[in-house]
Amino acid sequence: MVSVVLELDMRISRKQFGASVPSMAMGDIAFLLLIFFVILAKVDDDSHLKLTLAADQNLVTGKLKRASVAIDEDNKIYLNGQPINSAGLSGALSNILGDSGKGKRTVYLKTHRDAPAQFYEPVIEAIAQAGGELHIVAYEER
Amino acid sequence: MQPLVESPASATSDIAFILIVFFLVCASEQPDKGRGQEFPSNEKTSETQKRTTEVGITTSAVTLNGAVVRVEQLGGRLETVLKGKTEARDRVVMVKTRSDVPFHQWLKVTGVIKDAGGIVTLQIEETTTKVVN
Repeated sequence: MVSVVLELDMRISRKQFGASVPSMAMGDIAFLLLIFFVILAKVDDDSHLKLTLAADQNLVTGKLKRASVAIDEDNKIYLNGQPINSAGLSGALSNILGDSGKGKRTVYLKTHRDAPAQFYEPVIEAIAQAGGELHIVAYEER
Repeated sequence: MQPLVESPASATSDIAFILIVFFLVCASEQPDKGRGQEFPSNEKTSETQKRTTEVGITTSAVTLNGAVVRVEQLGGRLETVLKGKTEARDRVVMVKTRSDVPFHQWLKVTGVIKDAGGIVTLQIEETTTKVVN
């Protein structure tokens, strides 16, 4: 009976540590996540496409684009980075441009420099049919 | 005398990171340089086609109203043809392009036409496919 009491007395009481999540950083984390998803959600990103722009002189800075059409080196057509065929391009562009007024219907066209006319001419025609204001993106020739 | 409140040094890296992200987003939104092309449309009336200046583009040559010209000469020739034409419909230049002409060649020729005061209009051949049973 005596020995049992001694054992109990020899126990060292441990200090309790709090393990709470620091709430101070929550705002920062939420903000960074928001920016991360906003960048990911950029639907008109066509930077992944493989194409070499044609060279031209006296280039001007385009107005803010409403849509971007691209033809890559395999002559595939893309609207805002998504593949599309030339037959459906005019309708899709009309939906994007809607009833926007003059000066707010800018459509960027990025075409691979060696793409043949049978691919880029129908695209230009489709942009015109949709009422888009064509801005041909080119490489500045010096 | 030391200031009573110092800026927290631990937040510097957070601020730097947010600034990097901010400038990356701004840089990606910069508009691309290029050339504005006026609205091209299909001219369908035969009367309009008769009086329209016509430029043909093939992979090896450029023609102005049927006559072969060098690209360097095209601008001067066009200025002569368009001289005195003030109305927009008279300055329309119909561009016929062969299906195999690369885009960089088309861009060069249409640039010359635009610089000469012409309004580029595309003439696209309509192709229809009929399935015969």
